[in-house]
Amino acid sequence: MEKTIEKEFLSDFEKNQNIVHKICRIFTTNQNDHNDLFQEITIQVWKSYSKYRGDAKFSTWMYRVALNTAISLYRKSTKRIKYQNIDDFAYKIKATDYDQTEEFQLEALYKAMHQLNDIDKALIYLYLENKPYEEISETLGISSINARVRMNRAKEKLKKILSP
Amino acid sequence: MDLLDNYKKVWNNHPKDTRKFSLEEIYELAHSKSSSIVKWIFIIGLIEFVVLNSSYFFIDMSEAFSLYEKMGLINFIYYTQIIFYIIVFYFLIKFYKNYKKISTTDSISTLMIKIIKTRKTVRNYVLFNLSYFILIMIVITIASINTNFDNLSNKEILIVTIITILVTVLILGIMWLFYQLLYGILLRKLNTNYKKLADLNSEK
Repeated sequence: MEKTIEKEFLSDFEKNQNIVHKICRIFTTNQNDHNDLFQEITIQVWKSYSKYRGDAKFSTWMYRVALNTAISLYRKSTKRIKYQNIDDFAYKIKATDYDQTEEFQLEALYKAMHQLNDIDKALIYLYLENKPYEEISETLGISSINARVRMNRAKEKLKKILSP
Repeated sequence: MDLLDNYKKVWNNHPKDTRKFSLEEIYELAHSKSSSIVKWIFIIGLIEFVVLNSSYFFIDMSEAFSLYEKMGLINFIYYTQIIFYIIVFYFLIKFYKNYKKISTTDSISTLMIKIIKTRKTVRNYVLFNLSYFILIMIVITIASINTNFDNLSNKEILIVTIITILVTVLILGIMWLFYQLLYGILLRKLNTNYKKLADLNSEK
């Protein structure tokens, strides 16, 4: 039974790990911290996986656990698993079919998001991921009206940072 | 097109070929040790329960009890100790229950509230311990002055009282500083984020 759950978890997580990578990239500024946060999120998702009942999409459920970890639980640690190819991981995207202008814009967007506070980071992230207000307010645990008000402010802050 | 809409478009084209972890790596990560603040609160909480209640191992209790008997405090100590342990037990259960309630599947604000509540249980437990300590210090000082009343001059009584107050204040000060530092460092990020979220909820 445990083995089946573990297999399902690994497959679900592997497929959706991009969600976690994006969150790590928003909440950290270097690759060590990125991997560190990624590790903590993986632990937390696995620990609460038994509570995931499949009535919501796995990715939706994972957003919440991952953001909770990034905002409330994460502490830097020195005792972490070291990856063999840690140096291979660069933030610069090397896909050949990817527009270079877009690459710079994406880089600029991440840099701008680093200047926001953690709650605004979460709000903007959920906005970029096309999440409806209902889901945003549920994830944050605030009213839908407050989510809208705060989202507009976060967007304004981001625009100011991004405007030349 | 709005500036952010433009960036959103870029975001939607976010390439997927950033670093990916293999199934084996994910397995290893999932089974590694957590260093979350919840884990630290639990460990620190447990250490506090153990350390604050292990004075019996360091103090010669038979000597202490014979001293209490001499001062006529034996009944007082006996009954307050019973009450003390009932309350300690209550704190332990509350701490464990609060800890168990913490879940990363809650909303961000609910999770924060639960973490803060668990931390507060530990704080209240420490406050209770310190209050008990002060009570015992006061009672023992009064009792020792009473026992030796005929042999002590007014000046000596005053000195004993001042020393007791100073020692109590010093111990309390050190403990207070220690907790400010410990939880200040541990929960700085959480407290800041919680404040931001609370501000959000209070806005109409």
